[in-house]
Parts: sequence; C-alpha cells; structure tokens
Amino acid sequence: MHTGLLLLVAAAAMLTSIGAGWRAPRVWLAAVLTSLAAVLAAALAVLGGGAEWVWRGGIAVGGEGLYLRLDAISALFLALLGVVGAAASVYAGEYWAEAAHPRSARPGRVWWSVMLLNLGWVLLASNGLHFLIGWELFTLAAYFLITLDRQRREVRAAGWLYLGASHAAVLALFGFFTLLAVRTGSWDLGPMRDRPELAPLFWLALFGFGLKAGMFPLHIWLPSAHATAPSHVSAMLSGVTLKIGIYGLVRFSGWLPVPLAAGAVVAGLGVASAVLGVAFALGQHDLKRLLAYHSVENIGIILLGLGFALVAASQGNPGWGRLALAGGLLHVWNHGLFKALLFFGAGSVLHSTGTREMSRLGGLWRAMPWTAGSFALGAVAISGLPPLNGFVSEWLVYLGLIDATLARGAAAWAALGAAILLGVTGALALACFVKVCGVVFLGAPRSNEAAGAHECGPAMRGAMGVLAGMCVAIGLAPLVFWPAIARAAGAWNPAWAGTDPPAPLLQLGWVHVALVLLVAVAAGWLWRRVRARGLARAVTWDCGYAAPTARMQYTAGSFGGLISEWFAGILRPERHEQRPEGYFPAAAALTEHTPETVLERVVEPAGRAVLRVSALVRRLQHGRVQAYVMYILIGLVALAAWACLAGA
Amino acid sequence: MIDSNLNVLIGLAMGLNLLALGTSRLPALIRAMSVQGVILGVMPLLMEHQLDWRVLLVAVATICGKGLLIPGLLRRAMRTVQIDRELEPLIGFVPSLLLGAAGTIAALALTHLLPLLPEHAGSLLVPGALATVLTGFILLIGRTKAISQVCGYLILENGIYLFGLLLIKAMPLLVEAGVLLDLTVGVFILGIIVDRIQRAFDSLDTRKLTALHE
Repeated sequence: MHTGLLLLVAAAAMLTSIGAGWRAPRVWLAAVLTSLAAVLAAALAVLGGGAEWVWRGGIAVGGEGLYLRLDAISALFLALLGVVGAAASVYAGEYWAEAAHPRSARPGRVWWSVMLLNLGWVLLASNGLHFLIGWELFTLAAYFLITLDRQRREVRAAGWLYLGASHAAVLALFGFFTLLAVRTGSWDLGPMRDRPELAPLFWLALFGFGLKAGMFPLHIWLPSAHATAPSHVSAMLSGVTLKIGIYGLVRFSGWLPVPLAAGAVVAGLGVASAVLGVAFALGQHDLKRLLAYHSVENIGIILLGLGFALVAASQGNPGWGRLALAGGLLHVWNHGLFKALLFFGAGSVLHSTGTREMSRLGGLWRAMPWTAGSFALGAVAISGLPPLNGFVSEWLVYLGLIDATLARGAAAWAALGAAILLGVTGALALACFVKVCGVVFLGAPRSNEAAGAHECGPAMRGAMGVLAGMCVAIGLAPLVFWPAIARAAGAWNPAWAGTDPPAPLLQLGWVHVALVLLVAVAAGWLWRRVRARGLARAVTWDCGYAAPTARMQYTAGSFGGLISEWFAGILRPERHEQRPEGYFPAAAALTEHTPETVLERVVEPAGRAVLRVSALVRRLQHGRVQAYVMYILIGLVALAAWACLAGA
Repeated sequence: MIDSNLNVLIGLAMGLNLLALGTSRLPALIRAMSVQGVILGVMPLLMEHQLDWRVLLVAVATICGKGLLIPGLLRRAMRTVQIDRELEPLIGFVPSLLLGAAGTIAALALTHLLPLLPEHAGSLLVPGALATVLTGFILLIGRTKAISQVCGYLILENGIYLFGLLLIKAMPLLVEAGVLLDLTVGVFILGIIVDRIQRAFDSLDTRKLTALHE
C-alpha cells in the first residue's frame, strides 16, 4: 500500500508536469522532482528489503487490465531513473534555457516529462501489451527530444536513423510479446521458468532489447543520436534509456527459460561491444561522439556480466555466476551515473564554447575548474580505476570470471579470455580518457572559442556535483549498495537469493577509503611544498621554443592514432595525408576520420541493395491492365499447381 | 442420352472459344460470345428431367441476358463510339489460338486429376469450364480494346457459369442469380469505363491507361 501510494503520487506529479511544461517551467521542475523523488523512495523501499509490490487494477487500457509489479530488478532501474532523471532535469533548466532556445525549450520540457513517465511505466508494466505501449511512447518522446534542434541537418539525419533503428527493435519486440502471448494464452508477464518451449523467443528479445541497448553490431544508431542530441538528452539516453534495453534482457532472461547457447552468445556480444566500442571511441575527434562509443563499451561490460550469469545458470548456479551478474547490475548503476556526468561535462563545454570538436578546444580547466574536475572524476570512474564506482563493478565481474576460471568448469577458458579482453578494454578506455582530458582540458586553447570559455552556472554544476558524489559514494562504500544489487540478483535467479556480501567487498571499501586518504595527504603535502616555494605560471608546451603556438600541441588524432591503427582492420579509418617533402617543405597536411564502419560498410550497402531490388519489383507496376490480368492468371495457375501437388 | 447432348453443347461452346480467340473482327467476337451465351442458356433445360419453373427462369434469363441483351449493348456501344472494328492484339491470333488449344487440351487432361463426383466424371462440364475461363483470360491479356476486354470478362463469366451448372441441382437460383448480378454489374461498370476512356483519350485503347499509373 505504501509503495502503491508513492507511485500514485509519482504518476500524478509527472502528469502535472506534462501539463505545466509548456507554460510554467518552475512548476514543471518542481513536479518532475517530486515525482522522481517519490519513484526513488518507492524503489529504495523495495531494494532495502521491502516486499515485492504487485497491483492488479480494474481499469482496462487497450482491453487489458492494469497489472503493475515492482520487484528488486525493476526497482534497481527505477532508482537509476530517479537519480539521473532528477539531475538531468535540473541541468536541463539551465542548459536548454528559454532565452537561448525560445522555439524548443517548451516542447522539450513536455517531451521530457512524457519520456520519464513512460520509462517508469515500462519498468513497472507486467503486461506485454502495456509494456509495448510504454516502450513505443518513450521511444517517440526520445525522438522528439533528440531532434529538438531540428534546424540542423545532422540532427534530423541522426533522429531519422534513431527512429528507424528503434522501430526495427519495436518490430522484434512485437514479435516477442505476441508470440509469448499466443503461447501462454495471456498478455500477463511473470516468472515462467518451467516452460522450456518458450526458450527460442529469447533471440527475438536479444535483437530488440540489444538494439535498444546499443550492443555491437546493432549500435549503428547510437553514436550520431547521442552526439547530436542536446546534452541533457544525451545524458538521459545514455544513462537511462540504454539501460531499459538491458532491463528487458535481464527481466526476460530471468522470467523465461533461455536457449542453451544464450549465455555464450550474450557474453560474446558483450566482449565484442566492449573492445570494439572503446576502439571506435579512440578514433573519434568529436567529444560527444566519443562518449557515445564508450556507452557501447560499457553496455558490453554489462552484457559480459549477464552472459556469464546465464552460462552459470545453465551449469547449476555456481557462485561465480552471481558475482558476474552482480557486477553487471552494479555497472548498470555506475555507467548511468558516470556517463550522465560525462555528458553533463561535455554539455557544459559545448554550452560555453559552442563546439564539440576536440581539435578546437584545449586549456579549459583554467576557465572551467568545476566542469574539468567533475569530468576528470567521471573519466577516472569510467576507466575503471580505483577508488571510484567503475572499479567496484568491473572488479565484481573480474571476480566472477576469475572464479569461473579457477573452478575449471566448462566455461573456464572462455572466462579467462573474457577477463583478459576486459582488461584490454579498461586499458584502452584509460588511454582514451587520457586523450580526452589532455586535449580538452589541459594544454593551451586551440581556438578563440576555447580561449573565451566560461564556467557553467549553479544548476549545471549542482547536477554534476550530485552525480560525482554518487560515483564517489559507491566507490568508497560498496557494502552499503551491495544488498540492493544482491536482491536484484536474487530476483533474477532465486538460487542466488540472499544478501551476504562476497568477502573481498568489505576489504575493497576500506582499501578505497585508505587510498583516498593517502592521495589527499599526498596532495596536501605537495600543495604546501609548492606554495612554500612560490608559484610561477608559464605557457603550456613552452619547451624552449621562441614562438610556441597552440597548433604545436598533440591533437586528438595523434593521441589516439597509434592505438586506432591496431584496429584498422575493423575501424577502417580514412586518412588523407600530404607529407612534407624536401629540405624546406612548404605545405603538409594530415586529416583522419573514423567512420561508423558498421553503418557505412554494412547497413548502408545492404539498404541500397534492397532499394535496387525494390526498383526492379516496381517495374511490375506499369499500368497495363492486360499484364495485371496476366499476374492474376499466373497466380491462379500457381495456386492450382500447388494445391494439386500438395494433394498428390 | 442427356449427358451426350450436354457434351455436344459444351463441345460447341469450346469451339466458340477458339473462334473468339482466332477472329480479327470485333463483331465476330461479339457474335461468338452471344452464341455461346445462348448455348449456355439451353444447358440447364437438358440437365433437368422435369421442367421446374425456376430452371426455366434461369434458362430464359441467361439466353436473354447473355445471348441478346449484353451483345446488343456492346454492339450499340461499338456503333456510338465509332471505333475501328479491327482488333489490335497484344498476343497474335495464331498464338492465341495455339494457347487456347493447348489450354483446352490441358483442361481435359487435368480433369482426371481432380477429385470429382462420379456423376460428373464422364461430363465435359469441368474441362469446358476450365477451357472457357482460360479463353477469357487470354482475351483479357491479349487484346487491347476496351470492348474486347468486356468480351473477355464475359467469356470468363461463361466459364464460371459452367462451373455453376455443377451445383444447379443443389442451389439453382442462388448460383444463377449471383452470376447474373455479377455480370450485370461488371458490364455496367465497363460500359461507364468505356465511355470515360473514350471521352478522356479519344480512343478505346487500354494501353493508354498507363498514363494513369502512380
């Protein structure tokens, strides 16, 4: 009853905000925050050990009675929606302000509320039809949010690609839910683990949810959509809506039986997403596009955890599966937090300089210390470095993989390989964020825009601060968050119920605290010494040159070039170079561009081939009545022949 | 005895099919069609042992409709729009004839494969119906003038009517009324179309309808 009341308040407040979004921004913000606070409270009540909340209402929507359910898995994602949604709403008020965007600020608020409402609805719906309705609505709302700035051509192209890809996913999900309803005789969803004939439906779900989650190679829509959307929308898309795809996979791989190969396939796709996502990211020179590819990478880590959990579940539920699943689920939270934080930082840079092109930025930390600081914190977290949250979740996945290897079961070698590749991913992510921080925030400004940068306002700083605080909190006190993750893992697989933490987690928390203290003491000592000696500011990259310029700095391309060459077989970077020649070279140039290879080399040629074949079919329709009658005759004869042959 | 008479009539109708395919003149085509209509109208009288008034009605309606009324209408249409009486075939007359002959032979051969009732097995009704439907299709596909198209549709309907005769004992009026209604509506609509095509294009050549596609 308590949970139901909170959710009712949340729904009412969110509906109010849809109404208020057009005219009253303050009322809108208050209503959205109230709603998300109520949602967060309800989710935390369930995650904190409260009973699962199930409600069957008398009201019918689309011919089906309302059937809502809030269990630990839903609550896990709902809590993420509450935190990131609230931070992004506050951020949006300043970032996409009425004054700067008079045309799109109002519809932006309304669509934002519609999207939040339907995200919550999808997480609670326990009826296939209602799930699909909510899914479609939040997809559409996200489309309108991505294309808020639709005067720009690239935004329209990205929105179109997003819409097309999302509807491919919706089509697969329609197939999934309809077949499920046909085979079970009802649209109601719930645990059906003892129906092995439902297992093949998992592949449809994997396609639909995997596309939404941005799993490689279905991620084609993701980079352009996340890069061109307004930054608060990018943060929400990357932080929360990708996770709804993960939610679908977790939910239905937990409720329904899965094929035997499911675990290996999911883990394999996870590894591919992780390694290739970060490889593609290294080749990008657009700040937000780079972050978007890191979403592919982190989705890969989550899928890796889920995949090995599925493998474990098919092998009699050994304990390492629980660790891998817990790592994956915790990474859902962590990625949502630090990726939203990074997009906020990128948005702050974009807001202040007007460009996402890294080769036009540089030296921003002087002008934007808060943004630079929180972005750097997010970068440490996403690179999986201690003592922040990214390390905790990746470390849980590592523990699962290493335990699986040590158990010498059927999955031992696969787990070892996955652990190694996960390590490679982490190292590459670190290299990539060294590049980003080095190019964007350090060095000297590369353009006038960068030189004239200014710090963002209190609302944007506050939103970044909250998320940064959450990143630190999970890193320093993982044990506080462990029961919530453990309850979600227990809801996924009843064999893993129970909230006793793995032994090393407590030590990890203390090690992290000690590390922070050590770093703080060292930094304080260093600061005192520097102050004592006196501080002298000089030009960055001075190097003894007579006339240093900002163009002498390493560029984003030169940071990433070495590593992206390793993956040239897959990335296919386009490089045009004009080498300096002779003793007194006049002109030289080098440009490098990493395209979205899967889109440009696979999907677009396939689309063109379909169009060509369609043009051939089009010739059949020419307007000659005689030929149309002939088609009918041919059809009849074919049917008659078929009937005769089938009868004989 | 009755069966053999019926078979002779059906054989005649099949011969008329070939005539309709082979002729190069529009009036000849219309005449072949009207004679076929009269022959078809006589058939129900031969199939019934006692003369039921309903069967009589069907026969009279068919003879009047298919044999007199519709051909009359077509002739009038031909006169009023003053078209060239030469048919312009898409499929030549000799190929049409060969196709029709091949279709007739195929229909006769195929009938053995069909699961028919024993009392229909010796009759030419089913192959005749198939051959007539096929003839209608060949005319529809192979001729360009709107009036020859109407003739094609009507011969197609004749084929369907022959199939309907199989059921005349079970539900005489229903089948017949359905066929006649269908026919009337078809002719009505085609009459309007003929008129419209003539007004819009100053020609009855349906190939010019391609200008309407898309």
